[in-house]
Amino acid sequence: MATIRALTNAEELKEREQNFFVVVHPLDDEPEQKVDTEKLGPMRMTLSVRLSLLGLRAYLVVMMGLVVYHFLGLAGLFAGRGR
Amino acid sequence: MAKLFIPEATAGIKVPVVPRGGRVVRSKWAHHLLTFLMVSGPGLIVMEADNDAGAVSTYVQAGAQYGTHLLWLLLFLLPCTYFIQEMVVRLGIATGKGHAAMIYRRFGRWWGLFSLLDLQLVNFLTLVTEFAAVDLATRQLAVPPQLGVFLAAAGLMAIVLTGSYRRWERVVVALCLLDAAWIAIALLLRPPVSEIVHNTLIPTMPAGGLTPNLVFLVIAIVGTTIAPWQLFFQQSCIADKRLRSSDVKWAQVDTLLGACFTIVVAGCMMIAGNYALAHGIPFRDPAQMAHEMAHLTGPWIRAGILILMINAAILGSTAISLSSSWAYGEVKGWPHSLQLKVKQAPGFYGIYVLCVAATAAIVLIPRAPLQLIILSVQVLAGIILPPAIIFLQLLLNDKELLGEKYANKRWNNVVNWMMIIILFALSLVLAAQVVAPNLFPGGRQGGI
Repeated sequence: MATIRALTNAEELKEREQNFFVVVHPLDDEPEQKVDTEKLGPMRMTLSVRLSLLGLRAYLVVMMGLVVYHFLGLAGLFAGRGR
Repeated sequence: MAKLFIPEATAGIKVPVVPRGGRVVRSKWAHHLLTFLMVSGPGLIVMEADNDAGAVSTYVQAGAQYGTHLLWLLLFLLPCTYFIQEMVVRLGIATGKGHAAMIYRRFGRWWGLFSLLDLQLVNFLTLVTEFAAVDLATRQLAVPPQLGVFLAAAGLMAIVLTGSYRRWERVVVALCLLDAAWIAIALLLRPPVSEIVHNTLIPTMPAGGLTPNLVFLVIAIVGTTIAPWQLFFQQSCIADKRLRSSDVKWAQVDTLLGACFTIVVAGCMMIAGNYALAHGIPFRDPAQMAHEMAHLTGPWIRAGILILMINAAILGSTAISLSSSWAYGEVKGWPHSLQLKVKQAPGFYGIYVLCVAATAAIVLIPRAPLQLIILSVQVLAGIILPPAIIFLQLLLNDKELLGEKYANKRWNNVVNWMMIIILFALSLVLAAQVVAPNLFPGGRQGGI
């Protein structure tokens, strides 16, 4: 009889567990393990990555120069230049 | 009993976390809703803060020059902005570190510092535009601009210096939701609904064709809708909030809803500009537009637009200044968390205060070409964006860092490369326009 009662309690508990959800705010929760970037070190510089970064460097230098020139023009710095 | 841990952002300073046991709910629906509400914030803030003062000016200008013809561009930018920020969500949750830290560690010191300086330059100029908008709006509200700018700067410092991420987030989310008033303003202006639906779904060329002015404005809209600081801000925000791997889908939902809300609000700003165009109201900036429209729309809409302009500036300023502070803290290895007190993270808060105070002071210099700076910053951001996205793309394909779970899938890469090509093409068009101003027929129209 006691065994049957214990089983019923276990089932009830299981059912209760399924009917309850605990929601914890991320700031109240224990921090989870993240990727250890210190161990990884820098990214492997494959040829494609290296070329991408080189292209970016050239792009940024040219575009920044052009933008500065454009804005100075809009500000009227070259207004006196012959048309 | 309090537990102690040392997360990355606190750089060695022990912060006690008292487990509160969470909240117990009975239904799965309530569980999902409550989890979403607890996780949400960074996505909505990063998107809505992008509708900053410069964005208000750009969208209103687009409406005033081209009516509703550029609404399709906003619809096109909705998935673009979502896909980019969604990558940031995965990167932030997987690593628990900010974007600047990731570039610094994976691409080396040179690129780390380069990205940091790039970010600081654009952020600083953008912050000037935010305070410029406060200056313009407060003048129209008959408040002395010195007082208006001072109060805005003081408010910006007050919401951050409390040493509580949650407090800052609650205030900023409330400011984001205040932007819903743009929808009410657009509806009160009795917009041409069928024209709006048509021009949103079907791209049409405005009268006058492809002019340099149109190209410049399109690049400015792209630059303001997808900005480099957003990548840095959201990743650092996610790291500071310590989102968990189980939060990924909710953070994605937060980002998607934020993107939708932001695009709708941006569309409403264009509709306000369209109203000025339809009624022949000339203006130099949105504050003047609100003032000139008052005799047709009444004082409430005027006051509403001016207050929303200040709200946009405050939202943009807090997010942009924080992206600078977080990035500096990450690269320099300083403590950099909103959960820390000022004494515990003096460098982090110092950068924030310096950004806010210096840019507020610059704006009060008489006769600074503020409206020119406002639109030009969007173009500068548009040009810096493609390289920033390439870094993001390289990081998201770094399986050594993210593993299969968080790394980009094939379809992610296809979509991202398409966006990168479009962004580069727009930048090259701008470059061509600068080198050969007569390349496009019609010449430059109107002023900025």
